[in-house]
Amino acid sequence: MVVSLTKTIVHRMRHSVVVIAAAAAMVGGCASGDTGATEVWDPIETPNRFIFSLNRTVDIMAIRPMAVIYRDWVPEPAQTSVRNLLDNLGEPVTAINEVVQGDASRAATTMARFLVNSTIGVVGLFDVATMLGLERTKEDAGKTIGMYAGVEPENGGFYLMLPGIGPSNARDGTGLMMDYLVDPFRILTFNLAIDWTVYQGARYGMNVIDYRSRTIFALDDLEKNSVDYYAALRSAYTQNRAELIRQKREKTDTKSELERRDNLALVR
Amino acid sequence: MLLLAIRRVMLRSAAAVAAAAFILPVLVLPVSAAEPAKLVDTVAVEVIEIVKTKTGADRQASIRRVLKTNFDLPYMARAALGTHWNQASEAQRARFLAAVETAEARAYSDRFGQYAGQTLAVGKVTPRPNGISVVDSLLNQTNGQPIKLQWEVRDTPGGPRITDVKVEGVSMVMTRRSDFNSYIQNHGGMVEPLIAELEARAAR
Repeated sequence: MVVSLTKTIVHRMRHSVVVIAAAAAMVGGCASGDTGATEVWDPIETPNRFIFSLNRTVDIMAIRPMAVIYRDWVPEPAQTSVRNLLDNLGEPVTAINEVVQGDASRAATTMARFLVNSTIGVVGLFDVATMLGLERTKEDAGKTIGMYAGVEPENGGFYLMLPGIGPSNARDGTGLMMDYLVDPFRILTFNLAIDWTVYQGARYGMNVIDYRSRTIFALDDLEKNSVDYYAALRSAYTQNRAELIRQKREKTDTKSELERRDNLALVR
Repeated sequence: MLLLAIRRVMLRSAAAVAAAAFILPVLVLPVSAAEPAKLVDTVAVEVIEIVKTKTGADRQASIRRVLKTNFDLPYMARAALGTHWNQASEAQRARFLAAVETAEARAYSDRFGQYAGQTLAVGKVTPRPNGISVVDSLLNQTNGQPIKLQWEVRDTPGGPRITDVKVEGVSMVMTRRSDFNSYIQNHGGMVEPLIAELEARAAR
């Protein structure tokens, strides 16, 4: 009995060690040299390029044209409202991430924004909270992992091209999955037995069109001015994510520095 | 008497030198910190003026002139080629520089072609130990969030020159470097195919 229990425990521990090691490998990425800063670690480049070409085909044939029509034909206030609605649905996930990041006051502001916009702002169509001085922040689990991972933010593990989503890496891909799992709206649709494929599909579709319509100029520019679009996008994505995480770390550092000083003052 | 006078003059000049040694750095430092910011500001004003008044080939030529006088293009091109610079011959380097210059001029006149009343607010300047100053700035748009632009400015014999522009953390030089490096690696590790491709694009 005892032996079998110990065996199970040992087995479990081994299992968790493997999981932790796998997670560490994913987050830590390539340990040799400073690959993070100069060249992105991309061990599965061939399948990534294959997914990239599929994504591009879908993008050229369907998504980009729809995004162009959306940008040029839908009135500006309607676009703003759609963006506000999608942003509002994303607020709970941001708040959860802010809690995990150890910024409870920021999380409270985000939840206040969510409550104000969902009620006075008519289910999030109008961003009343910003007018009231509650600034919007956007957090995701990729940033949260990046904030705690003790590696340079350019190093997000191996580069990953996700079908239908686009550029990502081990860190941000894991983050995406975590955000999806904790999203209260996804859980709610399950519990209320709403046909969740319709709801999730509509939300995901709107997000894609909205996001694509805002990146038309930047991505066209990148494609036109590169000899290897895949490599240029890989570099740009990695740098942009690293910048976001770096901002996060610096802010936290300033805050902890202030707290440290406060504590010193208390001691005195 | 004469000796005393000489001594007095010497003392005075020594005092002046000492004073200068103390005061000059104080006077010089703000100037050298202000210069990169001024450069960025001048470039923004010049470019906005060009975009407002000129179109087509004329605009591209003017932008190219601004790039040549205010950007350190050879430095940027060299950084973009990375370690492959060493394997290139003199002739290849010259052709590469010319092709990159045309590509940059075209890219920037395209980018600025979308101008719709944005203004550039230059913020703080951070001098780095490696002699490069980073100038923070915000591009305020008429609609939407402001865009974060960072400029890297390096001192050259001909005055300060811009060596890189970062848009929301994405460095133009770093992205080009990745792009060129990947292209070279996929073409047998040679520089020649890249130069040929860039020249073909420039001729288009």
